[in-house]
Amino acid sequence: MTASMSQCLMQMVQTDYQIADYQSDITPRWCTGCGDNAILTAMQRLCRDEQLPPEKTVCVSGIGCASRLPHYMNAYGFHGIHGRALPIAEGIKIRRPDLSVFVTTGDGDCCSIGAAHWIHAVRYNMNMTMLLHDNNVYGLTKKQASPTSPKGLKSNTTPFGATLNPLNPLSVTLGISNVSFVAQVPDWIPELLYDVLSKAYHHKGFSFIRILQRCPNFMNHHFDAAVQDPLRVRMLTHADGLRLKPELSRIYKNQETHDPLDLNRAQALAMLDEEIPVGVLYSNPHVPCYDELRKGKRPSTPQLVETVLNEEFDKVGIWPEGQQATSNGE
Amino acid sequence: MQVAQISTDPQGQGSDVFMEEAALTALRPALFARYNALDSLRYDYPLVLIEGEEVEKPLMPLCHIVDEALRLVAPQGPDGEELRQQVLRLEQRMREKVAAGAEEKLSELWRISVSELVTESGQSAFGPLDQNLDRARQTITLDGRVIGCTEATPGKVLAHVWQSMHLARARKFRYKVDRLVLRLNDILKSDHIKSDEAHSPEALSKSMGLDGDNSIDFGVLSNILHRVRPEDRLPADRVARIKHVLQVLQTQAFFGPGRATYSYPDKAVCYSYVFQSCTEALDAYRDRLPSVIEFSKALAIAEMEVENKYVPDLHDGVFANFDESDLTEEQMAFLPPAMIFLRDGVTESSEISRAYEALACGLPIKVMIQVDDILGPTSPEPPRNSFGAGTARLASMAMGINNAFVVQGSSAHMTRMQDAMVRAMHYGGSAMFSIYSGATKTVPGVPAYILAAAATEARLFPNFSYDPSAGPDLASRFDLSANPQMEKDWPEHTLRYEDPTGVRKEEVVSFTYGDFALADTRYHRFCEAIERKSWSGDMVPFEEWLETSGGSDAIKRAYVQGVDRQDALMRVVVDDKIVAAARRCKDAWNRLQELAGINNSYVLAQLAEERRKREALLAELSSDAASPAAVEPAQPVAEAAQPTAEPQAASEEEDSVAAEVMDDMPWIETSRCTTCNECRQINDQLFGYNENMQAFIADPDAGTYRQLVEAAEGCQVSIIHPGKPRNPAEPDLDDLMERAKPFL
Repeated sequence: MTASMSQCLMQMVQTDYQIADYQSDITPRWCTGCGDNAILTAMQRLCRDEQLPPEKTVCVSGIGCASRLPHYMNAYGFHGIHGRALPIAEGIKIRRPDLSVFVTTGDGDCCSIGAAHWIHAVRYNMNMTMLLHDNNVYGLTKKQASPTSPKGLKSNTTPFGATLNPLNPLSVTLGISNVSFVAQVPDWIPELLYDVLSKAYHHKGFSFIRILQRCPNFMNHHFDAAVQDPLRVRMLTHADGLRLKPELSRIYKNQETHDPLDLNRAQALAMLDEEIPVGVLYSNPHVPCYDELRKGKRPSTPQLVETVLNEEFDKVGIWPEGQQATSNGE
Repeated sequence: MQVAQISTDPQGQGSDVFMEEAALTALRPALFARYNALDSLRYDYPLVLIEGEEVEKPLMPLCHIVDEALRLVAPQGPDGEELRQQVLRLEQRMREKVAAGAEEKLSELWRISVSELVTESGQSAFGPLDQNLDRARQTITLDGRVIGCTEATPGKVLAHVWQSMHLARARKFRYKVDRLVLRLNDILKSDHIKSDEAHSPEALSKSMGLDGDNSIDFGVLSNILHRVRPEDRLPADRVARIKHVLQVLQTQAFFGPGRATYSYPDKAVCYSYVFQSCTEALDAYRDRLPSVIEFSKALAIAEMEVENKYVPDLHDGVFANFDESDLTEEQMAFLPPAMIFLRDGVTESSEISRAYEALACGLPIKVMIQVDDILGPTSPEPPRNSFGAGTARLASMAMGINNAFVVQGSSAHMTRMQDAMVRAMHYGGSAMFSIYSGATKTVPGVPAYILAAAATEARLFPNFSYDPSAGPDLASRFDLSANPQMEKDWPEHTLRYEDPTGVRKEEVVSFTYGDFALADTRYHRFCEAIERKSWSGDMVPFEEWLETSGGSDAIKRAYVQGVDRQDALMRVVVDDKIVAAARRCKDAWNRLQELAGINNSYVLAQLAEERRKREALLAELSSDAASPAAVEPAQPVAEAAQPTAEPQAASEEEDSVAAEVMDDMPWIETSRCTTCNECRQINDQLFGYNENMQAFIADPDAGTYRQLVEAAEGCQVSIIHPGKPRNPAEPDLDDLMERAKPFL
């Protein structure tokens, strides 16, 4: 198809966004060494590489350390209420499908108070990218056990150790109907973080990324075993998934070729106990998207809304004999 | 249903009666005999014009709809037989009504017919028959006008297909324009809320609605809001531009407001795009051109404004000089094309030639030329030619324009041509439809459907389409496949009849131009019916006669098979004028076949040449084989190319080389940096960020060795390597070097 006149004319306006164009005036107030910094950088790199206009990009969050991210992005942002990032993002996306929507949320925000929205957002499969910053703890409120905290974790709310086994966000997401993209990546391998984020961004539908995020203050050394022993990380590679660069391939020798369309294997991988699966566990671009299914035949202009309302009122209207509702509203 | 299946039915009325004397006035082609009771047969008509936007098939024969309903509710076998018979009886009733001139929507026609059948059966409403038929009705989800095959059919069908396309375009148009209007209004609204007017006590009071207890002091509220009001207003020229664009988009007259008619402001009277003459259409095109240009500009500006990509310095000039020559095909295709209905023999001939001029210009017009008389008078009456040499060539002539979409078909084949018609309607450029109605006044007693189908069978009015957008070559563009037995010169059918002794006979006959001419009373003067007792050996079937050298044998006579009013079979000897016209007709058909790749003369010539060469080579080889010296096997001309390219050993440079060099220098595994900022908090001169916001040693002399060691110890992912101290005078070096050891 040939480009339209407006497309040609718009190409006259050259843009060259740099990372600095996505950095807000506010310096990130995350703790020193926090993995959130890596996630922010990966997002800004993606925006630059995709040349996303800041005015066409939206970051939506709930409450928590991770949810501070919209403040640090020079884009539209919505720092929402606890657990409610996804409904807000869905509202934005359905009203403005032209925007690139990112949702940043933490394990407490998503897997506890926001769990219902998380499940239905996966089911709705609207075209957006969700980043679950999973540090296994409530950090903003200075260490309380979250749904993903390991059993036995001593925290302010579990002084004798967390009682329950942790919730597995991957296996939960993979079990929801209409799931279309699930990936896991640690924040300490920036190249992979970027690659997975890029894959998620280009996926049509709801992309769920669980990011294993280090919290140096309240969960210090929690991920050290995986950070220091590359064999604890199982790299999931595939032509349609992650492709490791040679330098990473030399370090991370524990690799498995995994077809992202293989849901059964994805579920088995999500349940791995001793190893951390990293890469795209599941990706199916053919799952229908709610925003496309519900796309109206024509935009709801005030005139159309008024007409439809009047038509409904006319159904129960009482007209003098010999008259009826007319098309011009007389 | 094709005429290809017709044959005289030995059980049909009067088929066993042979007339002693032939009456020319009642002559018809023999193959027509089977269709005497057309209304009792299931075929393409009645045709349902399916309502709705962008329906996949805008035309559907009634019998197909009924068949689908039966498939769903009446299974084959005894269980469904009763319902099947009832529904088929209902279909027959609807068929009779349409034949009698009824033209209703399917739902209404169904309702009326059911009511009649129920009354006739003596059952009450909601009785078993009513309920059975209602079950079948429930499975039919579509609706539309039901039409028969008459002289008005081509116009109704084309108007319907055009309307379907128009509705689909209207939907796309409204979707795009309404979306832009909403978005532009949003931009203006976001600017307006920063204005003094929006913050005035009056505006605030109005936005609040009823304030029953006057508890809000809007004056105070206005003052407070005024102090915090953002100052970043839109430039005045942008606001003016957006307002102008909005005004143009909202007052456009190309499509109506659709469902929002009820309350649409500034409702414009929409343009009509249906014309009965080319002159009217071209005049309207010229009159509307300024508004087309204005609208196309506004649309492009709106698209740029909502993307925030309109730069006055760059774009003002482009739009200031925009005129009709800048209109793109895409912009024109966004607006409705004109539909022009012309009728050969009714419309002035000058209009037809104007239509060709307009088609050649590529204007967005769709022209239908309805042909009611293919053969024409028996002597030329300018501008009408005789013996089928005129109107049947209109579409072929339009193909010469090259960039116009051309569809030719008879009204008997509307269903099979509908895909081409729909594509032609959606085609961005001009399109021409040449449709033969079958309603020729000089052919009495033959239903329009039969005559229309016969015209296609006789190759007088072949079905074809030419789609310039389908590809770069004729093979992609030209489609002749909607014709019966397209590989042959004339389609062949089996004629079944009884001989005078009552024995059933079968004969394969071709349906030719001669058969078609036989139906036309004007051409009877060129025919002579010969009764059976006078048949002689010098009579040659018409199609065989055409294959001879051209009638040089004066003794032989060409004949076609005909039947009279009582379906008595007879041979009709035809004049050389009809033979000559048939040759012209066959020649035109062969030319179309060539375009479709059948018996292509270039290919045949090439094939003959290759065959000749091959035979010559074989002859040469066989003559050589006689000499013993020639039996040596031929040496292979060339060895197969060996796979030479050994994959070059990848020159892999190990990182260790670089690492050795870096031993003494501090360094960072930059690609592993997680941007935690810890090192830069120690010294942002010593540690810098690259373009990906990952750390590297910006200046090794900008900090102390202690800072390097502390940064290495603090780095969460242990990627900082302090190297060796650069300043030997730095205090506590021994201790620092000991601490640095794990990171070297």
